[in-house]
Amino acid sequence: MNSVSPSAAHYIGGVMQDELVESQRQQPLERQGSFGLMLRQTADPNREANGEPEEMYKLKAKLMSAWNNVKYGWTVKSKTSFNKISPVHILGHSYLLNSEDEVERFRLAFISRIWLTYRREFPQLEGSTWTTDCGWGCMLRSGQMMLSLSHCLIDLYSVDWAWPDAPQLTDVDLEVFRPRSPARAGAIPIPSFGSPRGPNTAQKSLSNDQAPRGSPKKKPESVRDREAELKHHQLVVWFGDQPSAPFGIHQLVEIGKSSGKKAGDWYAVAKTSEDHSLAVYVAQDCTVYKEDVVRLCDLSLSQTPYGPSSQAWKSVIILVPVRLGGESLNPSYIECVKNILKLDCCIGIIGGKPKHSLYFIGFQDEQLLYLDPHYCQPVMDMTQYNFSLESFHCSAPKKMPFSRMDPSCTIGFYAKNKKDFESLCSAVGALSSSKEKYPVFTFVEGCSQDYGLEGHSSSNSGPAGHILPPGRLARRNSDEFVFL
Amino acid sequence: MPPLDKAQPQNRPFKQRKSFATRRQEVAGIRSKFPNKIPVIIERYEREKYLPPLDKTKFLVPHELTVTQFVTIIRNRMALLPTQAFYLLIDNSGLASMSLTMAQVYKEHQDADGFLYMTYASQEMFGHCRRSF
Repeated sequence: MNSVSPSAAHYIGGVMQDELVESQRQQPLERQGSFGLMLRQTADPNREANGEPEEMYKLKAKLMSAWNNVKYGWTVKSKTSFNKISPVHILGHSYLLNSEDEVERFRLAFISRIWLTYRREFPQLEGSTWTTDCGWGCMLRSGQMMLSLSHCLIDLYSVDWAWPDAPQLTDVDLEVFRPRSPARAGAIPIPSFGSPRGPNTAQKSLSNDQAPRGSPKKKPESVRDREAELKHHQLVVWFGDQPSAPFGIHQLVEIGKSSGKKAGDWYAVAKTSEDHSLAVYVAQDCTVYKEDVVRLCDLSLSQTPYGPSSQAWKSVIILVPVRLGGESLNPSYIECVKNILKLDCCIGIIGGKPKHSLYFIGFQDEQLLYLDPHYCQPVMDMTQYNFSLESFHCSAPKKMPFSRMDPSCTIGFYAKNKKDFESLCSAVGALSSSKEKYPVFTFVEGCSQDYGLEGHSSSNSGPAGHILPPGRLARRNSDEFVFL
Repeated sequence: MPPLDKAQPQNRPFKQRKSFATRRQEVAGIRSKFPNKIPVIIERYEREKYLPPLDKTKFLVPHELTVTQFVTIIRNRMALLPTQAFYLLIDNSGLASMSLTMAQVYKEHQDADGFLYMTYASQEMFGHCRRSF
C-alpha cells in the first residue's frame, strides 16, 4: 500500500533509499557517486572535501530529484503485497501467484511494459523555458505509455513478448514466498525502508528463476532475440524526450498547443499516430460508432495506394473517455472496470487518483495495478547505440484501491486487424449486455452521422442564448420549463 | 437571510431551492398538462470548471428521445465543440446509457418528487495545469 509515513525521519530515509535504489538501477556508472552520498552521513569527510564541486552538483541533483519525487508523487516506497489466492489480471492475462512459475510469468508481464516517467534536462520545449515535465506531464506520460503498448503489440508480435533482460521485482511482498505463518496472512505490508534487506528477500527467492533463462538457446531464437532487442530500442526511441521523436513529449506538447488544452491530450495522441499505420479513434459521448471505426481502418475504402486487398487494414486504438461518477467513483462501476481490464483487447485505462494521473494495467481483488509516471528521472541519451533500457521499465508494481480511483478516466482498446476488431466488438457487446444499471459506454452500428438530429437540433439550436454570459447567473424566467 | 444568498439564487441546487411539496406539485401540474413529456432537471456539476452554466434547469422532454439525442441538444445549446468532453450523470452518480430513451431512463431513475435529475460535467484534468506555453 502506498501510504505516506507520518514520521519525517522515516520519510526522508525512504526517499534516500529510493534514490539509492534508483540510481543503482539506472546508472551503474554513477553508482559510486550515489554511494558517496549515502556514506556522507557516516564517514569519509576527506573524500568529500576533495571532490567538492562534482559532489556538490550531484548532491544538488539528488536533492532536487528527491524533492520532485516528494512534491509530485509522495512515492515513498513501500512493499506491495500480492496474495496467492486471487489471480492478478494484467491486460487480459491472469496470474495466480501461488508458484514460482506463475510469479515469473507475472514478473515478465509486468516489467516488460514500457514505463514512461517525468524526465528532466531534456531539450527545451519550443516557445518556453521548460526542460522538464515534472509536475505537469503525468497525463501525457500515461497516454504515451498506452500508446507504447499498442506499438509494442504491433512491432514486438504480441503482448506475450517479454523483455529477456527484465530485472527482478522490487518492493513486493509475495505471499507465496512468505515463511509459513498464517497469522500474518492479512497483515499490512511492512514499508521497505524499515528493513534494509527488504527488497532483497523477494529477489532472492526469485533468483532461482534466472537460471533457466541463461540456458543454451537455439540459434534462430537468438537471431530473433536480437531483432526484438532492436525493435525494443526503436520503440523506446520513438517515445524519447527529443523534438525528433514521433511520440515524444515535445511532439505531444506541440500538437496539444494547436488543439486547445482540454481534450487536446487525446487528440494529440491521435494526431501523432496518423502517419504510423496506426489509427486512433476517440469516442465522443461514450459511444463508439462501429462504422466510423471501419472507415478509419479499412484502407480499401479510401483512395490510398494500398489497393483493395484484405491486408489493407490499419491497426486501431479506440479511446473511450468516460466519467464514472460525480465526485468519486460510483462503486457500481467497479465490477465493470474489472471486466474491462480482463479483456484481451483492453490496453489499460488512463486514469488516476484525483489530480494524479496513473496508467492502470490490471488489478487484484479490490486493488488496481498501475504504472506511475510521477517519478522524475534524468533524460536518457539515446544517441548511444546500446543505451540502457532499465529506466523505461518499472520493477516495482504498485496497487491502489478502486475506491480511490478518480471517476474521470479513459479506457483504451486495441485491434490489430479486422478480425480483432470484430472480436473486440463482440467481447465488449457481451459486457454491456449483462444487466448493467449504468453501462459505461456503448458500441453501436452505423456512423455518428446516422444518429444526427436533423429534426431536433435544427429547431432548437437556433438562439444560442441558453448559455449564460459570464457573471450573470440569475435570470427572471429561469424557472420556466424548456420544451424540447 | 443575508443579501448574499439573494444575489445568487441559481447557485443552490434546485432541490434545495424548493421544498419537496412544491416540486411534487409542479410535476403534477406539468404532467397533467403534458402527459407525454418528461420533466427533467439539468444542473451543472458543482465542481465543474470548464463547461458553461445553463440558464435553464427545467426541461420537458419527449418520451422517445434517446439519451444521445438529448445530449446533442444540450451540447448544441451550450455551443460546445465536438472535442469538448461532456457527460450527463444521472443522480450525480452514473452515466446515462446513450442508447436508452428518456422514458426508459425516467422509469428507472425518477426521483420521489417526479423529476428526473441530471448533472453535467466534463472530464477532470490530471496534473497541474501550469503550462505557460
